Amino acid sequence: MKKRESRAFAVVGKSERKVDGLGLVTGRPMFVADVDLSDALVIKVLGSPHAHARITSIDTADAERMPGVACVLTHKNTPATRHTTAGQGFPEPSPYDTRMFDTKVRFVGDRVAAVAAETEEMADRALAAIRVEYEELPAVLSIDEARRPGAPIVHDEADATGIYDPSRNVAADVDIDVGDVAVGFAESDLIVETTCETQYAQHTPIETHVVLASLDVDDRLVLRTSTQVPFHVRRIVAQTLGIPIHRIRVIKPRIGGGFGVKQEVLLEDVAGWVTLQTRRPAFFTLSRAEEFTSSRTRHPMRVRVKIGVKKAGLVHAIEMEAVSNTGAYGAHGLTVLANTGSKTLPLYNKAENAHFFGQAVYTNLPVGGAYRGYGATQGYFALETAMDEAAERLGLDPIEFRLRNAIRTGEGSPIFAKLGEGREGVSQTVKSCELERCLEVGAERIGWASLRGKKERRGSWVHGVGMSIMMQGSGIPEVDMGAATLKMNEDGSFNLLVGATDLGTGSDTILAQIAAEVLGVPLAKILVTSSDTDVTPYDVGAYASSTTYVSGMAVQRAAEKVREQILGVAAPMLGVSTERLALRDESVVAEAGSSVTLARVCQRAMYETDQFQIAATASCVPSESPPPFLANFARVAVDTDTGVVKVLHYVAAVDCGVAINPRLAEGQVEGSIVNGIGYALTEEMQFSSRGRVRNPTFFDYKIPGALDIPRIDVVLVDSYEPTGPMGAKSVGEIGINGPIPTMANAIYDAVGVRLRQTPFTPERVLEALRRA
Amino acid sequence: MACMIGARCPSGMNVGARVGTAACLSPREGTAIIGDAKGETVAVHQIRSVVRPATLEEAWERRRSEPGASRFLAGGIDLVLYVPPAVSTLIDLSPLGIEAVRQEGADVVIGAMATLTDVLGSPLVGEVAGGFLCDVLRRVASPLQRNVATLGGAAVRAHPWSDVIPALLVLGARLDVFDGRHSTVELSDARARSESPSPLVLAVRLPGASRDGRGAFEKFARTGFDVGVLNCACFAIIEPGLCRTARVAVGGTPSVAQRLPRVEETLVGKTLSASQIALAAQAAADVVDVRDDRRATAEYRRVLTAVGVRRCLENIAGLGTEVKE
Amino acid sequence: MRIHLTVNGAERMWDVAPGDTLLDVLRREGFVGVKKGCGTGDCGACTVLLNGRAVNACLVLAVKAEGHTVVTIEGVAQGGRLHPVQEAFLEAGAVQCGYCTPGMVLSAVSLLSHNPDPSEAEIREAISGNLCRCTGYVKQIAAIERAAARMRESQ
Repeated sequence: MKKRESRAFAVVGKSERKVDGLGLVTGRPMFVADVDLSDALVIKVLGSPHAHARITSIDTADAERMPGVACVLTHKNTPATRHTTAGQGFPEPSPYDTRMFDTKVRFVGDRVAAVAAETEEMADRALAAIRVEYEELPAVLSIDEARRPGAPIVHDEADATGIYDPSRNVAADVDIDVGDVAVGFAESDLIVETTCETQYAQHTPIETHVVLASLDVDDRLVLRTSTQVPFHVRRIVAQTLGIPIHRIRVIKPRIGGGFGVKQEVLLEDVAGWVTLQTRRPAFFTLSRAEEFTSSRTRHPMRVRVKIGVKKAGLVHAIEMEAVSNTGAYGAHGLTVLANTGSKTLPLYNKAENAHFFGQAVYTNLPVGGAYRGYGATQGYFALETAMDEAAERLGLDPIEFRLRNAIRTGEGSPIFAKLGEGREGVSQTVKSCELERCLEVGAERIGWASLRGKKERRGSWVHGVGMSIMMQGSGIPEVDMGAATLKMNEDGSFNLLVGATDLGTGSDTILAQIAAEVLGVPLAKILVTSSDTDVTPYDVGAYASSTTYVSGMAVQRAAEKVREQILGVAAPMLGVSTERLALRDESVVAEAGSSVTLARVCQRAMYETDQFQIAATASCVPSESPPPFLANFARVAVDTDTGVVKVLHYVAAVDCGVAINPRLAEGQVEGSIVNGIGYALTEEMQFSSRGRVRNPTFFDYKIPGALDIPRIDVVLVDSYEPTGPMGAKSVGEIGINGPIPTMANAIYDAVGVRLRQTPFTPERVLEALRRA
Repeated sequence: MACMIGARCPSGMNVGARVGTAACLSPREGTAIIGDAKGETVAVHQIRSVVRPATLEEAWERRRSEPGASRFLAGGIDLVLYVPPAVSTLIDLSPLGIEAVRQEGADVVIGAMATLTDVLGSPLVGEVAGGFLCDVLRRVASPLQRNVATLGGAAVRAHPWSDVIPALLVLGARLDVFDGRHSTVELSDARARSESPSPLVLAVRLPGASRDGRGAFEKFARTGFDVGVLNCACFAIIEPGLCRTARVAVGGTPSVAQRLPRVEETLVGKTLSASQIALAAQAAADVVDVRDDRRATAEYRRVLTAVGVRRCLENIAGLGTEVKE
Repeated sequence: MRIHLTVNGAERMWDVAPGDTLLDVLRREGFVGVKKGCGTGDCGACTVLLNGRAVNACLVLAVKAEGHTVVTIEGVAQGGRLHPVQEAFLEAGAVQCGYCTPGMVLSAVSLLSHNPDPSEAEIREAISGNLCRCTGYVKQIAAIERAAARMRESQ
């Protein structure tokens, strides 16, 4: 069943060290804030104390007069352009409902004003001197409150566009179907319905948002920023500030994690505006508390899944209804909602009838944005819980039940065409799917057969095992574009310029590995420059699991073009036609055995004969989004005295096609699993009755630490994706979708209670045990 | 900590009146503001001087002369995280040479400036109740903080979630203090005293009588690096079969740990059997004063009290299967 | 106030405000490898060694460093030679975004200087105050084990 080129890779498939590793492990200055900031103004924001209010007056006169204050920003003196902060391709499928500074505030922590001053202390003093009068408005603090007829309207401004129904606080609405689920349910022998709810969670990158704005020697605005989307930043800042794109340069140096929260244009417009007004460099970063309250979050969701199954164990109809809380602004509201269905339902493509519908609802709470998994995480909780329930009621092993219903190589799903990123999707057929092997390997590794149903007791602890499967995607077909430029140097090395954005994921490294593979050179001969809008070609940025598959293919194509040029120069040198030449071991090698080094080839082209710069640019817009697949298994122990859930062993068997760099791929899965475990067990933003975040600190928003992780086994299963660069698919997101449903199913195996609300805190678990 | 009228707090709360204890913010959030804003800024701007007294007398005199504007500086963690608005002078205790751990007769005397790391690694402390205090300290915060936080600071600051306080309470710890004169006071008495400034703590004294007892500690936390939503410490001296001394303390209720004398009474003079332990655990759940907060509900804390006390006592009695899942 | 301290083996004399933390001062003086992640001692990104013990620089008043020895990540490699912990981190894939890495490396260096043969539980405890959101800690723990083994071998 494995279709794979029988070809040994020289660089691809090796766990090469990251190209930026040395600097990172020795603490070299590589991050936004690691430059001389002594001349930069410091920007601080005054956040709204109210969940919903009009600013009836704002007096900054005292603040402006204070020592060291360079400027004070409010709605009165900044551009009024409505835009979205969502870092998405143009035209962005998110409402234009945001102003840099608005006359209305819509959540506690929303921007009221900002000060740029010589020091942080002076900025803080000036903030305290700004006098604001608010007309408090009634707030909506839940999806249900917000959708009630007559509810206060979060976005009542006249100039917002792209909102589905502002009068009902509905930012986005999706409704697609295949076949007829009503008929499908009627034809089914078993119906299982479940509703699951997920909480507000935050990405907590260890480096918060940060930007340094400055003017270069030509008075162009330079934004050195911690972002996942440099090109979208450039475009949206141009739009918001009303300046041409060519007067802005965006540079992303190393960044301290993103996970989606930096797929957003949050700080750059303010910093850019301050620099343009003052001609001074401007430094703007969020405190940890502001990162929690005023950046972006996971969309809390309520997802109802109803499946109809035939006696033979075939899912015949699936209905999924998803309602998401998109918070005070609609960034990513539509697309996360759509993804909840588009990345889940195709997995069970045997269901001839499917219906996905839902809404993204505005509330006066922190703003949902892009977060690894992007809706699929929430969707799989409900879907894999329902599947687990159905398997039990049918008397089928859960693994067997999945095998009967999961999509296979060569198959498609009508959902692919119906549901894209906020618009119609793209039809596709799966060309690589090793789910069966993933399930086999995973089950064996966890000890499924010997543990399932045993409910082993140790003192007050009861053990159980659970499983789940999932798919994700590799980029957004016919929307995402990545491009790469390669140029050759006369010592046989190459500069690789990519717009693609390395968040720490190692994309610089794996893209270099792809180029090195095509060009027959070691990794050290590829010098990567990434994410500089003046220098590197366009790339959408790091999201939608696009980098390996989309940017990687652009790199492969650029390398292939460069290879052709190299062979063209070498052919007369060797007296051999190009079809008989190959690149290997830093040389052009003829079938018959003669060779010439790449250095010699480039010297000839650079200095000697028919001179030209060996270089090429290539792009990739994918026509499909081949899903990676994942089978998860977890062994948990539940303390029946206290409700504490401990994960003892977690196994993730992954099909990501060819892993360009296995260790980096493992790292992506390990990290996303641990993030998912936190999301499942301990992470929860808590709110006061007035909509204020009560725990905007690591002290009370608990993410997993080294003491909390189980034994984790990640197995990269052999696979090959024919449409992917070197056979690769992407892998950045899928891991985070596993822990919630897998652990919910494991808890059920242990103690017979189904948990349908995350996080599975000890109190919730104990309460469920007592009710049972 | 206090929020002042007219302030703007980093969490955006509109502060309209003086609030005694700002339940709105976790103490790790940062202070309230008047003029000098200090959200989460790292520098504690209002500190104007740090003095290094050469003698105890000098330290005490400085403190006594500016009670409102000065504070003793031990490890400094709590002061970096929160400085009361009027404080401008810190009196550094490091020059005073009060960090050693020593044996004094039957007592183990731990200098107030000993870090938690120093204490948990001390062989002398390890000999008291089988190293009970060391085991507890290993569960406090992270090693990074244990390398800076002092035992004296922990005893004085007495955070509501403190793991140190219940451990010291059940060990019968006393404090050597100085307020112009030297004296030794019970830990619980020291905390009940209200004079300002309170005496300078020089050492934590573990009485010789506790040496041969057995202690156990349970901490229920959300993650491994966390404060407890509840903690329990128990200590007993068991003569053949019978419990001669029993001490039980429950903390993080969310208030700081207190001993439960009614529970202790059910144990003294009794055998630590499973049934006696169950009675004690139930008694603890009945009498403990628990409340809701953002970390847990009162009801759940009551459950944890019973479980924690039972597990501690089973541990001490050698009954519990030391099961960690 | 003027403080005198040794940083990465070199004597320094710095003017600091009494309320400055070691994190403030170190970054201001150019040691930007010391990272700020939270400012409240909860994430460990600012870890440095103070007299050989790993501490949160954001929780230590700079004046408390008077007369003491500080080692930051910039001082771990000696003359271009990586410390075995750094080498192991690179080899094991324990560095993703790298923001927690300086703190993590220093906690590991401190551990191994006091305990050359740590168990996995002891390794986890040593880095329990260093939060990472990228790696899930798996490869960091493996790297520290590997570094410990290498260091014992070369004794």
